[in-house]
Amino acid sequence: MQELVKKAKELIESKEVDLLIGYQSDGEKGAKPLFVKNTQQAEKLIFNQYCLNNLVTYLKRPDVKALKKVAVVAKGCDIRSFVMLLSENQVSRDAIFIIGMTCDHVVSPDGTGENEKCTTCKVHNPHLADVVLGAPVPEKIAKDKPVHYAQLEKLNAMSQEERWAFWQEELSRCIRCYACRQACPLCYCERCIVDFNTPQWIDTRSNPRGNFAWNIVRALHLAGRCINCGECERVCPANIPLMLLNQSLQEEAQEKFAWEAGYDPESQPPLTTFRKEDDEDFIR
Amino acid sequence: MARIGVFVCWCGSNIAETVEVSKVAEVSKSIPGVVYSVDYKYMCSDPGQELVKNAIKEYKLTGVVVASCSPRMHEKTFRKAALEAGLNPYMLEMANIREQCSWVHNNMDEGTQKSIDLVRMMVEKVKRNKPLDDISIPVTKKAMVIGGGVTGIQAALDIASGGIPVVLVEKESSIGGKMSALDETFPTLDCSQCILTPKMVEVAQHPLVQIISYAEIEKLEGFVGNFKATIRKKARYVDVDACTGCGTCWQKCPVKVDSEFEQGLGKRKAIFIPFPQAIPSRPRIDAENCLKLTKDRCGICEKVCPTKAIHYDDKDEFMEVEVGAIVVATGYKIMPVSAFPEYGGGQYPDVVTSLQFERMVCASGPTLGDLKRPSDGKLPETVVFVKCVGSRDPEHYHSYCSKICCMYVAKQTMLYRHKVHHGNCYVFYIDVRSNGKNYEEFVRRAQEQEGAQYIRGRVSSIYKDGDDMVVEGADTLTNSQIKVKCDLVVLATAMEAPDGIKQLAQKLGIGYDQHGFLTEAHPKLRPVETATAGIFLAGCALSPRDIPDSVSEGSAAAAKVLGLLSKDTLDKEGVVAIVNELTCVGCQNCIRVCPYNAIELKDICNRQGELQRQVAHVNPGLCTGCGTCTPSCPSRSIELQGFRDTELYAEINALAEL
Amino acid sequence: MSENWEPKIITFVCNWCTYAGADLAGTSRFKYASNIRIIKTPCSGRIDPMFIVSAFEKGADAVLISGCHPGDCHYNEGNYNARRKFTMMKRLLDTLGVDTRRVVFAWCSASEGIKFSRLVNEVTESIKKLGPYTDYHSLNQEER
Repeated sequence: MQELVKKAKELIESKEVDLLIGYQSDGEKGAKPLFVKNTQQAEKLIFNQYCLNNLVTYLKRPDVKALKKVAVVAKGCDIRSFVMLLSENQVSRDAIFIIGMTCDHVVSPDGTGENEKCTTCKVHNPHLADVVLGAPVPEKIAKDKPVHYAQLEKLNAMSQEERWAFWQEELSRCIRCYACRQACPLCYCERCIVDFNTPQWIDTRSNPRGNFAWNIVRALHLAGRCINCGECERVCPANIPLMLLNQSLQEEAQEKFAWEAGYDPESQPPLTTFRKEDDEDFIR
Repeated sequence: MARIGVFVCWCGSNIAETVEVSKVAEVSKSIPGVVYSVDYKYMCSDPGQELVKNAIKEYKLTGVVVASCSPRMHEKTFRKAALEAGLNPYMLEMANIREQCSWVHNNMDEGTQKSIDLVRMMVEKVKRNKPLDDISIPVTKKAMVIGGGVTGIQAALDIASGGIPVVLVEKESSIGGKMSALDETFPTLDCSQCILTPKMVEVAQHPLVQIISYAEIEKLEGFVGNFKATIRKKARYVDVDACTGCGTCWQKCPVKVDSEFEQGLGKRKAIFIPFPQAIPSRPRIDAENCLKLTKDRCGICEKVCPTKAIHYDDKDEFMEVEVGAIVVATGYKIMPVSAFPEYGGGQYPDVVTSLQFERMVCASGPTLGDLKRPSDGKLPETVVFVKCVGSRDPEHYHSYCSKICCMYVAKQTMLYRHKVHHGNCYVFYIDVRSNGKNYEEFVRRAQEQEGAQYIRGRVSSIYKDGDDMVVEGADTLTNSQIKVKCDLVVLATAMEAPDGIKQLAQKLGIGYDQHGFLTEAHPKLRPVETATAGIFLAGCALSPRDIPDSVSEGSAAAAKVLGLLSKDTLDKEGVVAIVNELTCVGCQNCIRVCPYNAIELKDICNRQGELQRQVAHVNPGLCTGCGTCTPSCPSRSIELQGFRDTELYAEINALAEL
Repeated sequence: MSENWEPKIITFVCNWCTYAGADLAGTSRFKYASNIRIIKTPCSGRIDPMFIVSAFEKGADAVLISGCHPGDCHYNEGNYNARRKFTMMKRLLDTLGVDTRRVVFAWCSASEGIKFSRLVNEVTESIKKLGPYTDYHSLNQEER
């Protein structure tokens, strides 16, 4: 923690950055974002297993983009979303100082144990950071090993009718607050398709038709891009298991396109490229 | 308010037999926005078209749906009629009730109902259509040909003959290419220089052709009709305008190095022209071997030059040319013998490439046509030719066939026998491919009249035994292993894409295959075009070809260039993508999926000129209207005109009413 | 299911291959079921996965999507890009419990009039067996 505070003060004092986004504690077992503009505020910086938020999300905000240089405290998983923002021309590498934190795991959103996303993590030690703080953590999964999400298995084991019923039940709780969209580091459009009415692709009302269409388009727009940070699901006030959709498409991208998002800023997201020999068994 | 007219065609009985056309017209009247509808026997006939035109005027129609045959048949006809009546042609759509209805369904009720549905869908679409203007792009009436081999020369000549000025860019110091190094050519055995040199002179003297030799493409900007190329003129150390080509400098130059033109079998000076017939006949200094440039000694050429044309401080220069079209005729290279250690390549001087053999027998070659083997100058009494070296060998080298080797090996056996009447020559081959005019007869002649002995099989090894070379291989016809003692081995090594071709392709924005050969827009129907409008291909840049094919393609590419540049403007349909810059976030999805590189990032700056953000920008000159960009855009900020979301959605939406 | 129920099948095709293939089916008089309604786009690359959602919302019982075979695309690569989008869309719909038997992808060239007519008949037959897509259509009825 000392080194984080020290580094933050250094960056602020030298005016290398205009703003530093990090974590402060929120009760004994919690953490929340902290926006550091002076050395005094920097004293409050913490990093521990309760630091769940993906702070890279703040980089898509116009007021943050307007600043000359911003530092952000990021775990390896968060950096994966930064890599996607780089690849998609949403941030300038020079405008961001990444303070990468090594991280064994964070807690699950309900605070009861290890976060499930950490079991598939390949970047306990941050890639692409300007500085890495914290002791190295042994990586448990090789970079080239495909990731499988255990909770998908239950869904996959259901019949099509059961899946339909499952999702209709889950999505019936959707109140269309769009917290999922706001929290997602990769939902950065200034005009979302749902706010578009020529044509009105998606019913904006919170009804079964609109809820279904919205969740299709949300998942589809993240296809091949989602880096499994889990923020959409964490912020959902209706506890809809949104990550099941994202993870299903992550597995598809791995299986069909040998692609995992967020590691290489030079590579192209899979829906913006192709291989002639791509699988087409489903096409008659 | 939309005022739509619906025109239902009987197509004689073609439609009327299975579709109740009067009912379709009648029901159409009830579709919101439809103010007029009618059915008629032949809508495409002159009276039918008059019906449409008059209704447009009389009912002040804002849109028209013609329910008849496929738009592939008559969309142009009716859109032209609409234009003549003062309606924007893109405000006319067709409901295909013949190919999609009357001809494929038997039942009158089904056919009629489906026709009504198709009309309803098109009415809903046309209500949302936007008038579009055709796009007109000015063109620069000048062309550039890259590569001054026989293909590029032919292309340049044909373009210039059509009245279009041409810049011919050649990377070597002379045009002429590979053909200038050949001895005699198949299947007629006419001397290569004798037929090429007049063409070289013709192109050099053509008032509309500007030859830029010893130069390469540095950068290409722009698009079809409007390219701007930056050409790097490499430092030559000789002022080509002042130089008269008198030859005093290269006669006096004391440095002798291996000649590239002679395939390393002869020598040239450090200041040199590659071959006597070079065009331009101006030397260049080889900076790596010149004593003045490497060690600041000598300087003889400067002293002896009567016109003071030598400049040791010469630098690369850049020139920009604006052209409307480009022909890429960059040719090939052949694999060197050193690539084949298993055949003693690089180890034994008497294992040579077929191009080296051309120089060995050529009357203008290093031995003036006296056939001497490289190691000891002995007249080779026995020669073995090995075909498919590096070709048709996917495990080790190239999977493709180099196409010309079968023919030139047959030719070379004849050239050999014409020089050495008593000599023996053997050809190891896999197949003999001789499918060209008079080609099969030519190979037969080599085998039956000129004494070439063909052995079917691959060569396993080549080694030296005393003074002799030994070629070991299989004869697959007699199923035996054979050994041939000989004096000289000629390897017909594979043709390859030349060095630097990928970098050139990337600069030009054109595609290349896994071998480095450039890719055509369509292998059968657009064989000399690339996917990038305005850039054409010819000759061995595409894949191995012989001289007749290369020359034909040079002419074909020239015809394409002349067609493109025959008008002052390039007119195309208004069906192109347009970006909404207010909502675009510049994520580059559309840029990445566009098959035509028609989209690029554009900087949006404030009044102080500071960069605010970047958005996508479509170059309408390059956009072909495929619409692949549209679904890739998460914020719906790029729309293909004529197929906008709101138009297609209206068609889907109409289904709810069906 | 009412006695005279007929499936509604929305078909999205590219202009250069499948639309031309459908035209060829017409000129060859290959008869097929009248349940399809074709919407033409320039290229399968223009076909948006959201078209499928909208079609079901508007009452389609099935969606048929067809473009040029790989390598045949008039625009060289549009269908390759489309194929990746369709791959993802199909997986997503499957995960969500949509009956993906009702979402059919095909390649059909300008010369495959016979393939087009057979395809339409096969899809129509299979949807007749499956019945109307009441699950999806019911989303329109309940308002919360």
